[in-house]
Amino acid sequence: MNQPSHSSHHEDTEVRTLSNEARAAIDASTRGPVILFLGSSIFWLVIGTFLKLLADWQLTIPTLLDCTALFTYGRIEPAQNNILLYGWASTAAFGAGLWVTARLSRVPLLHKKLLTSAGIIWNLGVLLGTVGILIGDGNSIPGLDFPGYASPILLIAYVLIASWIIITLRQRQPGALFASQWFIFAGFLSFPWLYATANILLVWHPVQASAQGPIASWFLENITNLWLAPVAIGTGFYVVPKLVSRPISSPSLSVLGFWTLILFGSWTGIGSLMGGPVPAWMMGAGVAASIMAIIPVLSIAINLHLTLRGKYSAMSWSPALRFTVFGLYGFFFSGVLATLFALPSFNAVIQFSDVVAGASLLSLYGFVSMTFFGAIYYIVPRLIDAEWPCVKLIRWHFWFALSGLVLSVSALFLGGLLQGFAQFDVASTFRSSIEFVSPFRFLAAISSVLLLLANLSFAFSFVLMLLKTGKSESGPALLNEPTENSLETLAV
Amino acid sequence: MNKLPLLFTGILIVFGTAWLGLVAYPVSNLGHLQPLDDEDTAGYFPPSVSGLAVAGQKVYASAGCVYCHTQQVRLDPTSTDIAKKLGVRQTVPRDYIREKTAFLGKRRIGQDLSNVGTRFKEANALHQYLYEPATVTPWGKMPSYRYLYKLTKIVSQPSADAIQGLKGPHAPPAGYEVIPTEDAKALVAYLLSLNKNYPLPESPEPTAK
Repeated sequence: MNQPSHSSHHEDTEVRTLSNEARAAIDASTRGPVILFLGSSIFWLVIGTFLKLLADWQLTIPTLLDCTALFTYGRIEPAQNNILLYGWASTAAFGAGLWVTARLSRVPLLHKKLLTSAGIIWNLGVLLGTVGILIGDGNSIPGLDFPGYASPILLIAYVLIASWIIITLRQRQPGALFASQWFIFAGFLSFPWLYATANILLVWHPVQASAQGPIASWFLENITNLWLAPVAIGTGFYVVPKLVSRPISSPSLSVLGFWTLILFGSWTGIGSLMGGPVPAWMMGAGVAASIMAIIPVLSIAINLHLTLRGKYSAMSWSPALRFTVFGLYGFFFSGVLATLFALPSFNAVIQFSDVVAGASLLSLYGFVSMTFFGAIYYIVPRLIDAEWPCVKLIRWHFWFALSGLVLSVSALFLGGLLQGFAQFDVASTFRSSIEFVSPFRFLAAISSVLLLLANLSFAFSFVLMLLKTGKSESGPALLNEPTENSLETLAV
Repeated sequence: MNKLPLLFTGILIVFGTAWLGLVAYPVSNLGHLQPLDDEDTAGYFPPSVSGLAVAGQKVYASAGCVYCHTQQVRLDPTSTDIAKKLGVRQTVPRDYIREKTAFLGKRRIGQDLSNVGTRFKEANALHQYLYEPATVTPWGKMPSYRYLYKLTKIVSQPSADAIQGLKGPHAPPAGYEVIPTEDAKALVAYLLSLNKNYPLPESPEPTAK
């Protein structure tokens, strides 16, 4: 293992000005809130994956638990989706975003008690919203299902949490802002704008339904493109350089990727309403933005590849690097496919098929979740004085997650294509579209068992970690023997 | 990119353009549409709907129907929706002004419902379908909505509300009948009200090829 002095970090200034004691003080200040956010996010991950498993099986066996209103597919499906969006991904984004921001700003978090309370309020909001959907108060607006009495709680908690990011950034030690900080800052600015706009106009005081289509699709697409994606990329752009001891390769590609992601990402949502009840110019703008969105996807992926060049082997032993790199390449794949799917002639075929479900799974699990898994493997050992206790659990987590993801996304894509062609072909009946897709939905339902196993291994690992069963003296938990000295020292 | 206020302003402007186009524009241009007079019948298009049908929108939202059913007939000829007889013309913003929420939908796990009111002629057939979909379409994936119905013992005389013609595994045994709850009646009234075959000048019927 090499020493920090050997490494040419992009956070050169951090290495130079930040003593181990100062870094330990920052980590001590973030410990409570960050562990609360990450721990509760993993709790919701397990609950959400379990409900997703149920929903996926209900698509194969419609009679499954059809006896009560509580478990009807039309409630389980939005419940799992909103739990994974708000309970898991957003809560993990808080934890990772706060931690990376405090580290890079080189200041400890202040007033932790208020931040911790905000975290508890956020979780109560998610709980209330979920119960609301299950008892039938959901809005039936995808991604915005939490009833009007739960969403204000989330918004209030959010504003408190995001204020800490802004305060920490404002109090940062003098010096340049890192790419990670721009991305995280942009994400934390976008969420309240998105969530407040959509709730006011669609839930609290709904505008005429004729105007709701574009707003709803703008919200749903941007909750990924402008909230989860920037925070995940920002976190990844911190973890990867740290683990391969090399700065992000091209600052100008970072700038290009950042601004084009916000510019084109914010316009892409309308693609899902192609041919629908929206003005023609909006569809045109949506298609153009979706095609242009290949620019941020390519610039971020190329930058990542250049940074990792020659260092990919570290993925074989470092769990944090393995998950993060898979996650960021998940961003690349889902971005390239989103551009492909936006082409009008193709979109008309797959627009309402299972391909859509496959694409959103690839984005939410393959990209956002995998990146946050990597971040959590990186962050937690630095917050509590312990190492990941069981390498086998990490390995299970990775292989179950990867196989479940590949199997379900390919099943949904293949089945969805057949279904889409049957939906498009004038001579085919609706019945044939269902018969084509059914065997593939069965495969997707099987693979959601794999995803649940992956997430259970992860949750179990995290609980063992909190119980501090892994000794820090034994060194970090590595998946294989390192072949070269590119792992950073533990103190960093 | 090193000053927070500059970064803040930049993000605000870039993100703000999409907000203006995709949020502010629809609110001001599509958010105040009026029904159009119909000279022939002295009625309005889209026609007003009953109070029961409006209540049914809530049941539709509460059951999450939108997760399997779209309510949009797409543009011809890029899509084949009209050729596949989902409707006689493309749906446009004005078609939704009677709704509280636009249930446009994202997947067609089940059929499009824009014009489901033209496919079912009377309430009993829809009640029967909601109660035991597998009996009507064994190949379909729709779950039963039995929770919207009550199995009750027939006292003296059968109720006029009772669903006729049930024959699936949950059909009422002799001496019992299945009565729709208020929610079921509202949902069915709403579904029967879904009919967008009236003419709108902004969405002419495509001429036959």
